[in-house]
Amino acid sequence: MEVLTGWWDDFFWGSLVVVELFFVALFLTVLFGLIGAAAKLSNSRVAKAVASGYTIVFRGTPEILVLLLFYFGAAIILTSIAQIFDPAVKFVDFPPFWAGSLAIALIVGSYATETFRGAFLGVDPGQVEAARALGLSNLQTFIYVRIPAMWRLALPPFGNHMLSLIKDTALVAIIGLEETLFVAEQAIGYTAKPFTLYLVVGMIYLSFSTIITLSVMACEKYANRHLETAG
Amino acid sequence: MSFDFALILDSIPKMLMGIGLTLQLLFLSLAIGTALAIILLLMRISGRWYLAAPTMVYIYIFRGTPILVQIFIIYYGLPQLEFVRDSIFWPILREPFGCAIVALSLNTGAYVSEIFRGGVLGVDRGLTEAGAALGLSARHRFIYITAPIAIRLCLPAYSNDVVSLMKSTALASTITLLDMMGIARTIVAETYAPYEVFLSLMVIYLIITWIIQRTFGWIEKRMSRHIRSEV
Repeated sequence: MEVLTGWWDDFFWGSLVVVELFFVALFLTVLFGLIGAAAKLSNSRVAKAVASGYTIVFRGTPEILVLLLFYFGAAIILTSIAQIFDPAVKFVDFPPFWAGSLAIALIVGSYATETFRGAFLGVDPGQVEAARALGLSNLQTFIYVRIPAMWRLALPPFGNHMLSLIKDTALVAIIGLEETLFVAEQAIGYTAKPFTLYLVVGMIYLSFSTIITLSVMACEKYANRHLETAG
Repeated sequence: MSFDFALILDSIPKMLMGIGLTLQLLFLSLAIGTALAIILLLMRISGRWYLAAPTMVYIYIFRGTPILVQIFIIYYGLPQLEFVRDSIFWPILREPFGCAIVALSLNTGAYVSEIFRGGVLGVDRGLTEAGAALGLSARHRFIYITAPIAIRLCLPAYSNDVVSLMKSTALASTITLLDMMGIARTIVAETYAPYEVFLSLMVIYLIITWIIQRTFGWIEKRMSRHIRSEV
């Protein structure tokens, strides 16, 4: 572990970047998933077609390809926009943090679309009918009846999506974001101990995955507390 | 910004030169990973804790860390250790191709063994009990009753995993291999035309995904032909 002397703080800041990236991407994932699910469940044929195109493309292509396309593609668009105003501009860099979080969120969001859609369809129609019979409005039915039933159904697969999300953050090191894998690469340049340093990265990710798994388990227990039988 | 169609026509044949490597990575690691998954499954359901516990740790580690970190540990990390360099595995671990196969197989083995376990747990207990009543041994019950039903049950999840393995093969480009992704990255580095190159590569990957899904759809249909109602 003496290899790590002088690198602890870098790994700490790197882990913090991973956490930041995770939460930003998580927010966007939920957003894209909800929009995608709403589009798939809507009556509009155009919205349905766009949403299925979205899930087919982002579930069928490698994550690294989407990431590189976003990073380099966004830089090209930004450069050409900048050149309209100032022809002297040669290159505008797109922040890897945002390229990364957008790409990861779009990928995992395409999986979340299916999860949310399934959860919405999985709610017992009898419950919705009962809410109608009690005179609840559409909005009230959605908030008080559908959502509590939906999140119970969506939670286990959504836990898996969160695990994919945290693991995909490692890819963003490829486009130069200073997260843990990137820190390890720099440290290897000085210490020439790749095995030890990459193992540290692996352990950091393993602890993140463990935290997520345990939190999802706690949420599931909370969501299903009414189903528990008295011991 | 303009879209260069000549470049697309020029780069697609170049990228297709890497399809052989992509498919080699896919099929070899799928075969090794599936064999590994069967061994892990048998250890896991053996009912002996000293066999089940190591597989649970293995699955926890390989599903809890990013595949990119696993690839880096194996390719960049292992040569740091002297006993690896002296071992009989060195000829495999010296080459990036061998490392990619090892990493992808170990990773997919962990995922597939969990899928298989889901299939085995999904088999109706009554059937194995009936087998026991008929005097079949535990091994015969597994081979003739549990396995055929379990395979049918886990085929959809298995086909999803084959698609994610195919997507993971693109990560081999990070350890200098020139698969389709690696070639695309080289072309983009030379021409700086990410849209043309990466979007056409996306289409190629989508076609491979589609072929995998259609193949498994056909196998599923064939395997459940005895259940299909006659019209």
